[in-house]
Amino acid sequence: MSYLDKNIVELHNLLVEKKVTPLMLATEAIEKAKKDSNNAFETILEKEALEFAKTLVEPEKDNLFWGIPYVAKDNFSTKDILTTASSNILKDYVPVFDATVIKKLKEAKAVLIGKTTLDELAMGGTGTTGHLGMTYNPYDPEHKYMVGGSSCGSAAAVAGGIVPFALGSDTGDSIRKPASYAGLVGYKPTWGKISRYGLFPFAPSLDHVGFFTRSVLDAAYSLNLLQGKDYNDSTSSFLPNEDNTENINQGIEGMKIAVLKPIINSVHEEVILKAFDKTVEGLREAGATVDYIDFDDDLLNAIYPTYMVISCAEATSNNANLDGIKFGPRIGGENTYQEVMMKARTAGFSELIKRRFVIGSYSLFKDNQKYLFLRAQKARHMIVRKINEVFDTYDAIYLPCVAKVRNPFEGGYSDKLSSTYLVAENHLAIGNFGGLPSISLPIGLDNKFPFDGNLTAKAHEDKKLLRIAYALEKITSLKDLSVEKVVK
Amino acid sequence: MNFEAVIGIEIHVEMKTKSKMFSASPNRFGALPNTLVTPLDMAFPGTMPRLNKQAVINALRVVNALHMEIDHDLYFDRKNYFYADLPKGYQITQDKRPIGKNGYVEIETSHGVKRISIERLHMEEDTCKQLHLASYSLLDYNRAGTPLVEIVSRPEIRNGEEAMKYVAKIREIVIYSLVSDGKMEEGSLRCDVNISLRPAGSDVFGTKVEIKNLNSLSNVQKAIDFEMHRQEKLLLSGQKVEQETRRFDETKKETVLMRKKTDAVDYKYFTEPNLVPVHLSDEFINDAIASCPELADEKLARYTKMGLGKDEALQILDSYDMAMYFDKTLDKGASIKGLWNFLTGDVASYLKKNNLTIKEFNVSPDHLVSLMKIIEKGDVSYPQGRKIFEEMVKNDEDPLMLQEKLGLKQNSNQDEILTLCQTAMKNNPQSIIDYKNGKDRALGFLVGQVMKASKGKANPQMVSKTIKELLDKE
Repeated sequence: MSYLDKNIVELHNLLVEKKVTPLMLATEAIEKAKKDSNNAFETILEKEALEFAKTLVEPEKDNLFWGIPYVAKDNFSTKDILTTASSNILKDYVPVFDATVIKKLKEAKAVLIGKTTLDELAMGGTGTTGHLGMTYNPYDPEHKYMVGGSSCGSAAAVAGGIVPFALGSDTGDSIRKPASYAGLVGYKPTWGKISRYGLFPFAPSLDHVGFFTRSVLDAAYSLNLLQGKDYNDSTSSFLPNEDNTENINQGIEGMKIAVLKPIINSVHEEVILKAFDKTVEGLREAGATVDYIDFDDDLLNAIYPTYMVISCAEATSNNANLDGIKFGPRIGGENTYQEVMMKARTAGFSELIKRRFVIGSYSLFKDNQKYLFLRAQKARHMIVRKINEVFDTYDAIYLPCVAKVRNPFEGGYSDKLSSTYLVAENHLAIGNFGGLPSISLPIGLDNKFPFDGNLTAKAHEDKKLLRIAYALEKITSLKDLSVEKVVK
Repeated sequence: MNFEAVIGIEIHVEMKTKSKMFSASPNRFGALPNTLVTPLDMAFPGTMPRLNKQAVINALRVVNALHMEIDHDLYFDRKNYFYADLPKGYQITQDKRPIGKNGYVEIETSHGVKRISIERLHMEEDTCKQLHLASYSLLDYNRAGTPLVEIVSRPEIRNGEEAMKYVAKIREIVIYSLVSDGKMEEGSLRCDVNISLRPAGSDVFGTKVEIKNLNSLSNVQKAIDFEMHRQEKLLLSGQKVEQETRRFDETKKETVLMRKKTDAVDYKYFTEPNLVPVHLSDEFINDAIASCPELADEKLARYTKMGLGKDEALQILDSYDMAMYFDKTLDKGASIKGLWNFLTGDVASYLKKNNLTIKEFNVSPDHLVSLMKIIEKGDVSYPQGRKIFEEMVKNDEDPLMLQEKLGLKQNSNQDEILTLCQTAMKNNPQSIIDYKNGKDRALGFLVGQVMKASKGKANPQMVSKTIKELLDKE
């Protein structure tokens, strides 16, 4: 009997009724993880997970995460457990402390099954740049299409029915885009809502901790668990925690939803447009107003370059600690510290990472700041201001996640700046610019390949956003997807 | 040709807060290497900075003492560069918005009072300490993250004396405000001097030389005087001053080349994204300033108002620990003048003789005051008091008990003194004649005889008074 394509709430009920035990779930998850053919895992924690699961005997009725197996992207610091960020420079790094979210999950007695692959240091959106090679989309046994990145392993593990919950991180769209290719709910809440302490930084002003689930309700419960002010993260929000599941099923009567015309107009795939239109209809039937509104094209075209400049600039600084002196392989350099650093960094980072560091450094040079870094900051503020103006009138913005349902490894989009799908494939970064709560959830299937739509709301309106997402999920009925179910 | 030196000084002050600038690690000097370290101090991935409130309070106190404008919003920036002693590969500092700007201090030089403008004061964190050995180097992360303030003067200093006085003034402020222990020899106050020469009256700057590693006030002065001379000689002989970094060699008493300056490093500054800007309320700022311990200038004003001369007061204020002892003893009711006499006299010579500091001085302010009081009241003579003092420094015993124990009671009994005086006069009739003949010395001789007869216990003032009365009656 297989359990792990169920969602968290369902598993919790089975655990409470003692129809299944944490050990049974952990055992199944480990077995599946070991059979994984998509390169989803950096580390499988067989011994640790089974040992911990064995200690979980008496179900905790009010603790939804009790005994639930989960995985974490390998850029979350896990005490005594190898954490590589899928980079050679950290291939032997064993942290001495737990990230706040890991600690919270441990305290809730969720069972960590493994650490998942990512694009190296979470930079990249293809799931192809990790030091273990490409991560594949479980929906595609032929391994021709991406699962996307950078949280590729986490997305693949949930879609593959290994676990019902996975931690990810999202700096541009690194949870919400793979969620689309993997047919999952992918959520990043308001910046500051979940502590980033222990998340390996890529670009802190854009970095968010988030997660993959199979249902919107699971996402709301997950936020309940992980949210809150953290002493160790000065940027974490001091606003009081809300129960995000409260009134989640109360519908969207009277709510106003905006669709940004230039973005939807840049999506050309028939199947996406059809599904999207259908959901818009559904939203209207549920009592919401959906308006197609104008938005400045120049600002939208600026999203990707703005994102690249800011994220690379911050990244080059954040990863300067990886210098071969404290971290990373000591390859040589007998004479000077410069030699030690250069050798370690040359061997430790892939070409893509080095390219991004160069872009970041270049844009931060004193003579270039004005034209690159500061200009990008200005653009960021302009974009956020305009988006927030939309929220003066609307409760949420609704858009497709992707321009194409499937993205092939060969000839697909890459890390390089190109005008193809510039807007349609990159608009999710708006949510990172503004620290806005943003959720992706399945809205359609194309020949057994799922794809998501995305809802984004004003900062700190996570609860309202989840309520709208819950209504949308009801309209699509595309809930609890997994490869097994969809293929059947 | 006459040259004028243009000198600017950057001072780094290590703050003595309980914990580090951005981590909970203890901030202490002298611990075993790498024992005061948290994951943040070693830049473990995923660690995040948390601002030390006391460091901000300290910085505000110095900013206030330097008459600076206060920025009510705290912003931090990253200064990015690779160096073995820099754990994160960047230093968190305040580049664009220092907490204080546009201030000044006044220094007293041999040419009078001079005002030196201060451009900025900002907070930042210290790096690791490096120990270079023959074939390898060691890193001590205890120092990494120690809170610092950097104080940057405008280039208004003109010679070694002014520079020394300026550094001394800043040092005094950070010590009295309890921001730092200001120990230059331990590196808790470090200064870098920028110095160039130009023809007197010119407003063009010459080529700047930086001098590092100045570990005492006198070295600041010596190094600058030497460097001014060196540059002057170069210029007079038609040579160029090279842009370079030099250090002061204490044994040779001269500055020596450390490295030539190549192109300035581009630090790629940008705002630290892991610290949200902090707004400082008026209340917070006012509290930080109001709760600042009394500064030396304030003490000086108080002492002079209480009757001490300026130079006398400065003699006390020269040492923070002495000033603390002085204040504590004043609080116990000592008269300021008497206390000054005692501290700069007997106490100072005792300390000097035994090579001690006032911190190691054994006598509690309470006991010192009671000793001063029994001397003033005439219960013991001054020489007796000194005997008691010599005992007190051993175990800080109560002077009243010691007085008893040593049997040192001054005899102030009028009748007994009268008898003693009469006896002395009877035994020395020649002295009476001498006195009558105008030899005042005779009075002193007679007093001495009485003191001798009383084994030093007779109250000398009373003896002197009585003898005089008796003589005048003869």
